[in-house]
Amino acid sequence: MALKELSSLEKCLGLKKPNKYSTQGEKKVPVLQNNQGSALVGLVTIASHLVCEAQRTELLGDSAEQRAVVQQWLEYRVTRLDGCSKDEVKVILKELNQYLEDKVYMAGNCFTLADALMYYGIHHIVMELAVEEKERYLNVTRWFDHIQHYPGVRHHLPPVVVLRNRVYPSSQH
Amino acid sequence: MGFGDLKTPAGLKVLNDFLADKSYIEGYVPSQADIVVFDALSGAPSADLCHALRWYNHIKSYQKEKASLPGVKKPLGQYGPAGMEDTTVGVPAVKDEEEDDDIDLFGSDEEEEDEETKRIKEERLAAYNAKKSKKPALIAKSSILLDVKPWDDETDMTKLEQCVRSIQMDGLVWGQSKLVPVGYGIKKLQIACVVEDDKVGTDQLEELITAFEDYVQSMDVAAFNKI
Repeated sequence: MALKELSSLEKCLGLKKPNKYSTQGEKKVPVLQNNQGSALVGLVTIASHLVCEAQRTELLGDSAEQRAVVQQWLEYRVTRLDGCSKDEVKVILKELNQYLEDKVYMAGNCFTLADALMYYGIHHIVMELAVEEKERYLNVTRWFDHIQHYPGVRHHLPPVVVLRNRVYPSSQH
Repeated sequence: MGFGDLKTPAGLKVLNDFLADKSYIEGYVPSQADIVVFDALSGAPSADLCHALRWYNHIKSYQKEKASLPGVKKPLGQYGPAGMEDTTVGVPAVKDEEEDDDIDLFGSDEEEEDEETKRIKEERLAAYNAKKSKKPALIAKSSILLDVKPWDDETDMTKLEQCVRSIQMDGLVWGQSKLVPVGYGIKKLQIACVVEDDKVGTDQLEELITAFEDYVQSMDVAAFNKI
């Protein structure tokens, strides 16, 4: 899962030469072997490295504040999102929905690595949501639909249909 | 199309509802469409219109690149949810429309037809056509395997299958079926179907199938896969 994600990320960043990854441990943590012999371990570490390699450091955030927010969500992805249980999914969706109420992107006003990795991580959850739940977490759905249409992001993942005409009366305002 | 008068709370509410599931007025990137609507607002929307406020703050951050955003500026009435009355400046007041209605009731002459009503009609047609052309979008489908159980081993399974297949719904396509023995000579009918998620739900199917009380004892969903 993480390996496909990393290769999609490479394509998204426009890196020409795909890297060879391996995994370690039972949690299948991705590992990238460096030419110098040292290895980079961990999804976030490797993703950040790829961003620097592609010279798209703006994807990690422009200002110090934005960089901090990006890091926060990258960490969220690995610690909270990956391997979460069914009950935690509801909590996560509720948190995200609240957070995204007044934001178009995860961090700041432009697309960052945080958006990409959160998108990859949450895709399997959103795909399984019923229409009613997609309406309940409307902000998450809106952000998700926005990111999946962003050029270059959605490679190996099937697009998720978002119902445009609201079926259920708005319960939020 | 159009949001109504954006300087009134009603118009702002339409904008807010429209933006609840969209990041931008048109498409997935900021464009001239957003600038047109942005300029039409007299100020930031209030905090209870959270989606409009979110969009407003976001577009405000693009102020420097206003001119370089993609797209072509169209009149304000072209944006927004389809089916809305276009009440931007230039549309006749309500009195005129009432007069129009009277004339229509008694059979209007061709020359009497107000130019505005013609324009509104054309706009609505364009919106309808645009919606239709967008139709071949992805339709979420699922493949469902249903288990239909009869009352006893003497129930006519072919009749049961006929009853189930007679259920016709928009978005429902019946597939293969087979009889699976359950024990004591009783066989259950396993039948597959492909449904469009938006149109058909398993509860509906269950109601319709269990309505055949003479043959069907109960129904279960054996498998449900998204396609």
